[in-house]
Amino acid sequence: MPATDNSMIWNFKLVSHNSLDGFGGIGEGMSMQLAKDGRRILWLAHESAPKNFTAVDVTDPKNPKIVARRELPESHMRSNSLETVGDILAVAYQTKEPGLKPAGFELFDISTPENPKSISFFDCSGPESRGVHQLWFTDGKTIHMSAGAADFRPSHPKDDQIYRAIDVSSPAKPTELGRWWLPGQQVGDNEAPPKRHPGANDSGFRPHNTNVYPERPDRVYMGYLDGGMIVLDIADQAHPKMVSRWDYHPPNVGFTHTVVPFFDRDLLIVSDECTRNDGADWPKLVWIVDNRAEENPVPIATCPMPPVESFSRRGGRFGAHNLWENLPKEGCWKSDRIVFGTFFNGGLRAFDLDNPYQPKEAAYFVPEVPGAPTGACQLNDVFIDDRGLVFTVDRHVGGLYVLEMDF
Amino acid sequence: MSDTRAPVSELFAGANASPFGRAQRRPRGARIPVSIVTGFLGAGKTTLIRALLDSPEGANTAVVVNEYGEIGIDNALLRASSDATVLLGNGCVCCLARSDLQETLRTLFADRARGAVPSFERVVIETSGLADPGPLLQTFASDRALGEEFHLQALVTVIDAPNGARNLASAPEAREQVALADRIILTKTDLADPAELIAQLQALTAAPAERAVNGAIDPAYLLDERLDLPVRVPEHDHAHAHSHDIESFIVTFDRPLRWPAFEQAMTVLTALRGADLLRVKGIVAVEGVKGPVVVHAVQHTAHRPIELQTWPDDDGRSRLVFITRGIGRAEIENLLSAVAAIVKEPTQ
Repeated sequence: MPATDNSMIWNFKLVSHNSLDGFGGIGEGMSMQLAKDGRRILWLAHESAPKNFTAVDVTDPKNPKIVARRELPESHMRSNSLETVGDILAVAYQTKEPGLKPAGFELFDISTPENPKSISFFDCSGPESRGVHQLWFTDGKTIHMSAGAADFRPSHPKDDQIYRAIDVSSPAKPTELGRWWLPGQQVGDNEAPPKRHPGANDSGFRPHNTNVYPERPDRVYMGYLDGGMIVLDIADQAHPKMVSRWDYHPPNVGFTHTVVPFFDRDLLIVSDECTRNDGADWPKLVWIVDNRAEENPVPIATCPMPPVESFSRRGGRFGAHNLWENLPKEGCWKSDRIVFGTFFNGGLRAFDLDNPYQPKEAAYFVPEVPGAPTGACQLNDVFIDDRGLVFTVDRHVGGLYVLEMDF
Repeated sequence: MSDTRAPVSELFAGANASPFGRAQRRPRGARIPVSIVTGFLGAGKTTLIRALLDSPEGANTAVVVNEYGEIGIDNALLRASSDATVLLGNGCVCCLARSDLQETLRTLFADRARGAVPSFERVVIETSGLADPGPLLQTFASDRALGEEFHLQALVTVIDAPNGARNLASAPEAREQVALADRIILTKTDLADPAELIAQLQALTAAPAERAVNGAIDPAYLLDERLDLPVRVPEHDHAHAHSHDIESFIVTFDRPLRWPAFEQAMTVLTALRGADLLRVKGIVAVEGVKGPVVVHAVQHTAHRPIELQTWPDDDGRSRLVFITRGIGRAEIENLLSAVAAIVKEPTQ
């Protein structure tokens, strides 16, 4: 890494970089397939059209190779999120405006990674729906997602997506198991619609990540954007109930994104998403939340960030976004001591959580991205495999970076 | 030596928590490694550091010096400067320790975090010639000082053949610099026969001594850490390196130690004889703890013990090297066993 540019690297070693043949804008879908022939295929969802997804063979991390790539059928849509389980790939489709198609998710057979074959499409389009923004699929049976629906009438256009659970155990015939939304989010609810955040900070009340883990199969951990963090009881999947909600907006600008439980330690790691450039929505943080009393989550710390006054001027967004979610799947690295997150122009950052009251910075990687439209990297998502290799992607042009932890 | 275990709260510890915190790949964990280069004026410290900065392995080094003149910065290397910091080529920065070293290092750390200086990967401190390295070593021990962000990697003492023997004979600081060192570098051996100097060094320390010609030496010799301090191989059951009352010896234990007993013994030792406990370093097998625990103490101050993920070799025994002034191995062993005998088992 030349030292004359703005790059910063600490306690990571850069193993390789692949700019993905000029389509290096990746969203927040990264999933590793352990293919039957022994290869490790990393599936990446693109941030925006024209590309749908790209599959990269990372068996040799020094030499990642593109093995498959698909185009989106329409330019008014994006894929953004995907997951694999075994030889099944699920891809989320979201349209730019409500009422457009295709909006939903598509399942592919990826038993031959070079040739993904469509199995089925689950339609979530509707007059007021933009489809699926994000999906969680780790057990091969159920997709938990943030999605609109044909029959859902949001009380505000920005609140069109809700929590939906879909049974995909028969991949050719996905069927809905249940749904939940914030009371007031739908026209006709008994409760009043949620109070809007002011002006440009009104991002909407809808789920972002919808995480479910085998340690607590009866819980969904959700970032609910302007609604804060929400945990659901899904013991009765057809009738989810809210267990807890932690809403810290205002004073903070909304957009709670991801909630990762560290079950053994009674902690929740909660990330915001920064959505505005140049520090306009600062602070966007990674929070450490005491979850000993499940019904009353209490924030106890945030992960230390580099100074906003310097990073907010580097260009683009600066603040929290995706976390490494300890995906409960084969081939994934797991830790309840280290938190990894991507912070747009703040790069990829790792924190030591030995003392959860005082998280400590352990490592960072802030690459220089030639041709970055905002002038700086915008690292968007992170995936860590059970070899300890850390994969991170840029939102616009940078592509895929493969790193080793060195701490 | 009070309770120096990692501040792991019992809250949120989880079932797999170690009393020493997350086991680390290496003693420094995620902290910034620091090498201290000490030696008398004219010994050749600057030449060595200059050569390091010019090498590929020395890229992205922050150097802390007392005088810019010493490091030989010329205009060609000067890219930008603030009051106390100069950016060099090769990703390096050079920083003046004008007043307080702690403040200097804290400023460097903060500047690095905000991108005001390159993201340096290590710090090399060039001490002034007469510096007693003891206090400097202690600076990195306590969490309140710099121990949370910086990790002492190596103390390297430079000594020149023409003047080294005389300095050792006349200056107690020179002897301490040698006695405490992890490694010795002999310079200017082309100008004087170092035979007498080497004999003097061997009386003071078992640290390895390498020769450097015009600053050329393996960068790892300056930058890497070894878990064990150098010590003489025991001969005839008399392992002391007698000279000027400075002794060095190794204490080994075949069975894992109970940490409370070991910690109490070290507390007693530092309370009674801290000033004479020049340096203690080694790895300890602790009952109930999977990895070896790195222990490092300097006089009255102990570095935070670090559990490593794996043992560095097949020898799973505890081993501690003591460098002392007038305290022998028998006294240490007697103290450890006496304290172990009276420390209560923890109540369940």
